[in-house]
Amino acid sequence: MNKTLPLKGVRVVNFGWVWAGPVVGQTLGFLGAEVFKIESRARVDMTRNLPPFAEGKPSPDRSLSNHACWAGNGSISLNLKEPEALQLAKDLIARSDVVVENFGPGVMERLGLGYEELRGIKDDIILFSMPGAGLYGPMKDLRTYGLSLTSTTGLDSLVGYKGGDPIPVENAFSDPYAGILGAFAVLSALNHRRNTGQGQHIDFSQQEAVMQMVGPAYMDYVLNGRSGGPKSNEHPLAAMAPHGVFRCKGDDRWISIVVGSDEEWHSLLAALKHPEWLKVSEFATREQRLAHIDTLHALLGEWTVQFDDRELAALLQSHGVAATPVLNVGDLLGDPHYVARRTFIEVEHPLGFKETIYGSYVKLGRGEVEVRPGPMIGQDNDYVFRELLGLSEERYRQLIERQVIY
Amino acid sequence: METRPTGALSGIRVLDFGQMVSAPYCAKLFADYGADVIKVELPTGDVARTMGPFPGDVAHPEKSGLYFINNTNKRGVTCNVASEAGRALFLRLLEWADVLVENNLPGRMKSWQLDYADIQAVNPRLVMISITPFGQSGPYSAWNGYDLNAYHLTGASSRYCGRPGEMPLEHGTFSADYFGAISAATWGMAAVYGRDMVGGGQQVDVSCAEAIAAAFIGGQNIGGYAQDGRFDKRTGVGMPQGAPATILPCKDGHVWMLALEPGQWNGLRQVMGNPDWADLDIFQNMKTRAENADVIYSFIVEWTMQHTKMEIQEKCQAAGCPITAVYTVAEAAEQPHLKARGYFVDMEHPELGRIRNLGAPFKLPASPGGPARGAPLLGQHNSEVYGGMLGLDAAKLMALRAAGAI
Repeated sequence: MNKTLPLKGVRVVNFGWVWAGPVVGQTLGFLGAEVFKIESRARVDMTRNLPPFAEGKPSPDRSLSNHACWAGNGSISLNLKEPEALQLAKDLIARSDVVVENFGPGVMERLGLGYEELRGIKDDIILFSMPGAGLYGPMKDLRTYGLSLTSTTGLDSLVGYKGGDPIPVENAFSDPYAGILGAFAVLSALNHRRNTGQGQHIDFSQQEAVMQMVGPAYMDYVLNGRSGGPKSNEHPLAAMAPHGVFRCKGDDRWISIVVGSDEEWHSLLAALKHPEWLKVSEFATREQRLAHIDTLHALLGEWTVQFDDRELAALLQSHGVAATPVLNVGDLLGDPHYVARRTFIEVEHPLGFKETIYGSYVKLGRGEVEVRPGPMIGQDNDYVFRELLGLSEERYRQLIERQVIY
Repeated sequence: METRPTGALSGIRVLDFGQMVSAPYCAKLFADYGADVIKVELPTGDVARTMGPFPGDVAHPEKSGLYFINNTNKRGVTCNVASEAGRALFLRLLEWADVLVENNLPGRMKSWQLDYADIQAVNPRLVMISITPFGQSGPYSAWNGYDLNAYHLTGASSRYCGRPGEMPLEHGTFSADYFGAISAATWGMAAVYGRDMVGGGQQVDVSCAEAIAAAFIGGQNIGGYAQDGRFDKRTGVGMPQGAPATILPCKDGHVWMLALEPGQWNGLRQVMGNPDWADLDIFQNMKTRAENADVIYSFIVEWTMQHTKMEIQEKCQAAGCPITAVYTVAEAAEQPHLKARGYFVDMEHPELGRIRNLGAPFKLPASPGGPARGAPLLGQHNSEVYGGMLGLDAAKLMALRAAGAI
């Protein structure tokens, strides 16, 4: 098998920080690009200091979540407040294809790295910017955190228990989402460059990218003037029933069950052995099931609670019913499906410890992605400054001593 | 009339042989940026056509909002791949295409003799993007499943959404489908971009569940669990380690209340009019505020209930706090910022009339994208594609129609 990855030969300079920007680099890196994060000990990224740490020893190079979320990126350390550091960053950009950043609008310009500046260094450079709400517009400077960005899209208003208040999603789903989709934007621009020789400055508003997920509910507003609200786990368009999560035997164990067609309904009845309690005549059609969904779900819940979630999922699946156990974090590592697909992998860190991160979550027929843990600060300094940029040993050492490379 | 798009992906030919959300949205991303996308539907049509939202809730296969929003810019043909003549026609389309996007369960593609081995034999340069809930391999690959089932297999709901001990929640939309779609578009596009380098086409195997389990949940949780054997579950508040960091009610809805850093907290105090309670020692850092979350949230809610979400957003943002309104879908759809950025586009559709659609998910200034043409009617381009593009004559087309192949 040809082991070459599709983006081999593409070089990316990544100023991205925290989560979304590093995931852009990760995605391109997994796909074969050479990606260098530019960061500095002068201002260590907060995610490098997030516990838990490898072997319980706190250090910016030992954060386990950071290593997973930043895997695929390399790292060079430059204190950009120093003019010589800025020049080195530009020298690297001159030899690169793509620059990624997720600062607020205007920050790159203030650093002296705005698009016009970069074009002067390399005419066909692709600058990928992913501010929360875009590069322009009245709310361009809106402050959000990853976990609250979704509130500006309508998405948060849909999450919660049926008829109740919105419940927050407790982490930034939008960060990896925008990070992965951001890599698609970069690929589109690379393709355009291949077609035309032109680079460009991509304006990737995380708000707009994520709001596409609200599309189905948005159409209900456009067509009917309705603005949806929380509906537990019911179908987003009220088109399937049952469609929910039901309690199983044990502490906080649940199963998801969906019936999308009459055929699947009959499969469910067969799996249930056509019980008396499920008054079949009242639920014979999809319309009836939808009209009486609360009753239907309550009845099903009384049945599921007698079963182990995994056993019940296997039983229902053996009849062709769409059902999965609701997994918790502790279930993931040993789950036979994720084990078989090598979703999570144990890797050896250069500092000598082993840790578990996620691997190639998409499988390519040609070429296997070799995933290494996220970089130590400045891990690729030698390679970039000595080999790529050709600094003399002496000058390299000086710049390190003077904390320009830092 | 063959359309000649000029976008970033112009020259790339895509077949969308998918239904509902994941594959259609993935193919829509290609279509947004100028790829020539043909949607191939079974004669019964994409199941999304049977789901709303419909204008006035009256079901009509050409008036589904879900179908419309995920199928813009595509041409549409019908093809009964289960028949011999239909399958032969589908193979002709495969010869034309660079990319096939599909989301049929693996067993179904096999039953049509359209798994990757069959397809590779017809067009070895084709990139086949397969998006399913569980993927092409592993013990659950033969399982039946929908978006909800995939989402709850990831740990996301157990970890991050819902009240403790109560039902874990999805996001109220097709979150797993969308996450799978963007992962597939990115990895698939890379496979197209690097096709010559890697030596030809390949299958790109995307599991919606795996992508979320890895890139969202795994990133933040799996290293710690693997090392220490401990893991967390949902709490029902936005961020249990710091406060304020959750969704709170206000006079006309809800706000995402976030003020963790000292500057943000002081900004919020000022906006609230420096109430006496805010001077208490226990409220002077985010951790002790979190330890007294019930108390502080009840104080803050007394204030938020007297103000509207937009008042709160504007005043708090001006004071340096990342506090935002929880926009309803209607409010997001009317947001002046998004309007100023041209995020909404007016489109015409023969059955739906004038539709204000969501525009491009990101802005490529040198090669603008986004929806321009409405979703195709069922079989709308049969003559154009099969006659004009593949060169079948009228008699042959009529025979195919008579045989039920198209």
